Amino acid sequence: MTLIADRPGPGAARPYRFPPVVRRTAAGGQVVAAHLPGQNLAVALLLLDVGAGQEPVGKEGLSGVLAKALEEGTAQRDAAAYALAVEGLGTALSTGLDWDSFQASVVIPVDRLSAAVELLAEAVRTPRLDSADVRRVRDDEATALRMDWANPGPRADAALRADLFGAQNRWGRPMHGDPESVAGLDVEDVTVFHSEWFLRPGTLIVAGDLDRIDLDALAAAAFAGTGGGPAERGGPIEVPLHSGRRIILVDRPGSVQSTLRLGHPSPHRAHPDHVPMTLAGTVLGGAFTSRLNHLLREVHGYTYGIRGDFAASRRFGRFAVSSGVQTAVTAPALVEAVGEITRTQATGVTEDELEVARSWRAGQLSVELQSPRAIASALTTLVVHDLPDDYHARLRESLLSADVDQVSAAAATHLHPEALTLVIEGDAAVIRADLEATALGDLLP
Amino acid sequence: MPDSGYPWPIQTSRLDNGLRVVVSEDRIAPAVAVNLWYDVGSRHEPAGQTGFAHLFEHLMFEGSVNVAKTEHMKLIQGSGGSLNATTNPDRTNYFETVPAEHLELALWLEADRMGGLVPALTQETLDNQRDVVKNERRQRYENVPYGDAWLRLLPLLYPPGHPYHHATIGSMADLNAADLATFQAFHRTYYAPNNAVLTVVGDATASDVFALADKYFGALPARDDIPPAPDGRNVPATGQTAVESVSADVPAPRVYIAHRSYPFGSPGYNVITVLATILGSGRGSRLYQRLADGERIAQPDLVGAYGVDLAHAPAPLIATATARPGVSAERLAEGLAEVVDELATVPVTAAELDRAKALLSTGWWRQLSTVDGRADLLGRYTTQFGDPARIAEQLPALLAVTAEQIAEAAADVLATDRVTLTYLPEETS
Repeated sequence: MTLIADRPGPGAARPYRFPPVVRRTAAGGQVVAAHLPGQNLAVALLLLDVGAGQEPVGKEGLSGVLAKALEEGTAQRDAAAYALAVEGLGTALSTGLDWDSFQASVVIPVDRLSAAVELLAEAVRTPRLDSADVRRVRDDEATALRMDWANPGPRADAALRADLFGAQNRWGRPMHGDPESVAGLDVEDVTVFHSEWFLRPGTLIVAGDLDRIDLDALAAAAFAGTGGGPAERGGPIEVPLHSGRRIILVDRPGSVQSTLRLGHPSPHRAHPDHVPMTLAGTVLGGAFTSRLNHLLREVHGYTYGIRGDFAASRRFGRFAVSSGVQTAVTAPALVEAVGEITRTQATGVTEDELEVARSWRAGQLSVELQSPRAIASALTTLVVHDLPDDYHARLRESLLSADVDQVSAAAATHLHPEALTLVIEGDAAVIRADLEATALGDLLP
Repeated sequence: MPDSGYPWPIQTSRLDNGLRVVVSEDRIAPAVAVNLWYDVGSRHEPAGQTGFAHLFEHLMFEGSVNVAKTEHMKLIQGSGGSLNATTNPDRTNYFETVPAEHLELALWLEADRMGGLVPALTQETLDNQRDVVKNERRQRYENVPYGDAWLRLLPLLYPPGHPYHHATIGSMADLNAADLATFQAFHRTYYAPNNAVLTVVGDATASDVFALADKYFGALPARDDIPPAPDGRNVPATGQTAVESVSADVPAPRVYIAHRSYPFGSPGYNVITVLATILGSGRGSRLYQRLADGERIAQPDLVGAYGVDLAHAPAPLIATATARPGVSAERLAEGLAEVVDELATVPVTAAELDRAKALLSTGWWRQLSTVDGRADLLGRYTTQFGDPARIAEQLPALLAVTAEQIAEAAADVLATDRVTLTYLPEETS
């Protein structure tokens, strides 16, 4: 035999060491940095304490329009000159938004970091926001969203979110808005939002070789001209569960696949069950080897993939499953998925499955120590959720020590198969009767 | 300008059975990337067997002599690792990044499926993964607007019989016809140690890796009669333009302009890489400045230009733009062609060149900032050019490209055999 039959065990475990974290107050703002000696690339990320959650109801997508408008010229130069200045350094301004925060960042060789941070601050703090430019950006963003919404997924996501959280609430509407909400924004919405939120200092996050970086100089650039305190964050939002399952059908005529979005509300990020919930979600749907993917892909061949997880922001959370399945098997795929969620809630997880889930989650923390981008993202988590410097090391320990009883209890408590909303975006004419016949829930009109 | 684009050590070895092993040590994180390039891709597929190399890639995760069905994924994820595999016209790569103490497990798994896949391959597995791949085709190509652009461009760029004529995902008809014996033969033919490169990057020493490679792969037999893919290097110019117009369920008109350029790895392709960056990367690019910002006929997020890094024939150079509301496909196509054509007539300025090189430089270091990014590139240079050390020459070569070379390449590549693919929103009632 030419192959070695015995599977090798692990070698000596390497210690987990998150890079040293530096926190300081400088130039009126907070700096949180990680030292990555010898690393040629560096990341600087300006984290502002304003997320989609701060957008007024009816003004969804405001932050996205503002983010794009930041690069349409600054107090110092026009849009083309700004693009050439940034790209001439070899970088690009990258922006991101979630429910809790807004970020603008650059990734760049460390010797050009300070010039890049100056340009980043120039756009975030002193954009021109010329009326004609803002209107054009708004129109382009509305068009971009229309393009995106022509893909399967966004309409189903919106239907699920509205049903879970209520479309009368900001958090019941799409995080990035929809084509109509963006088209309805006016210039003043954008300029007022900027002056209210983008002139507060926020936090500068830096990941790189700190021996080659002057944090105080970066802070001076990032926080110049800022003022005002942190925003009132608001407490966790109580979101009631539905009594009884419901089915929402989003028509996509001629679709060769049905897009599935299944979900219900779940606890906010600071909930004490965060770790066991994460692991329960991993066993059920968070990894390739999870129950849902095994059953629907590897056993039945219904799909290219199916995933499910708990996700949480500061104020609320949700459990959701997503997949695309062949049109003809929409109903059986849905029955199998709901069945697996029900089984996991009722009977919990096994030690064998949990062993994979906790090793995977813990191991990923080691794997993610490589790049400045990943380290900056980890620092962002610390800031957004008020976590200590040793959070990732502690998280690793809690993942590794979670036992079957804790994780099964989290599944029993936080999965609600009877309260699921089942959104199906597909060819209604073909699948409607099959969906009704499943008797999984009331088909909403 | 850096002297080297790869300031890490590279050590190589070759087992008696021909397996090339490349190691690049770096202790930045307690993780190690394991990567295997097999020199087989969709360019090896004969007519009637399109999509087989990629479907085969799926089968490699379904168990082997000592690894049960689905156990591969479970063992890698259960050790904290992440993994995947991809197939393209040139090659098939398999890779995992694991906490460093699980290096030996990863090598054992890779050796078991290199040497012991066939006995574990069943009709049931094939049928299941055929369904999965057909779902992948629906999800990625059929159910999304413009999803089939690549499937349409290839046969316009490469004539029938050319190894790049058909797309890697294959046709539904061929996938339906796939039989077990063909896949057993596929593995015996191509999955031999002398047709592969094993690369390990990260928290490991070369001598340990070489010893482990010998332990797990050393006894696998070489195969000395691996059939080459058809030679596609010479694609005679037809002097024709190819124009295809598609009415489809798309939200706006979109135009692609494509040409055959030079093979990846050639000096000409480096010029094309810089040219494409000047043309279509970023807000300072010609396409953005002219079509998105200047004339405002194109959507700003959807203009772009890129080379597709294929090494065994003149590689595609593609430019694309999507119309703003109210702009016709004809107007957009005209505008796009004008900016593309000007590469040959309007000299590239020093500022344009510097911008492109700065962006490419940062892009290079980003790609190398992870151990898996480095492992895949080392595997590529070893497989395609026989020498991993060529990786160090890549960035300096890009940074040495001149405006004159760009004008020459533009005149050469853009002069003939243009492919224009246009999507039009279909009339709805």
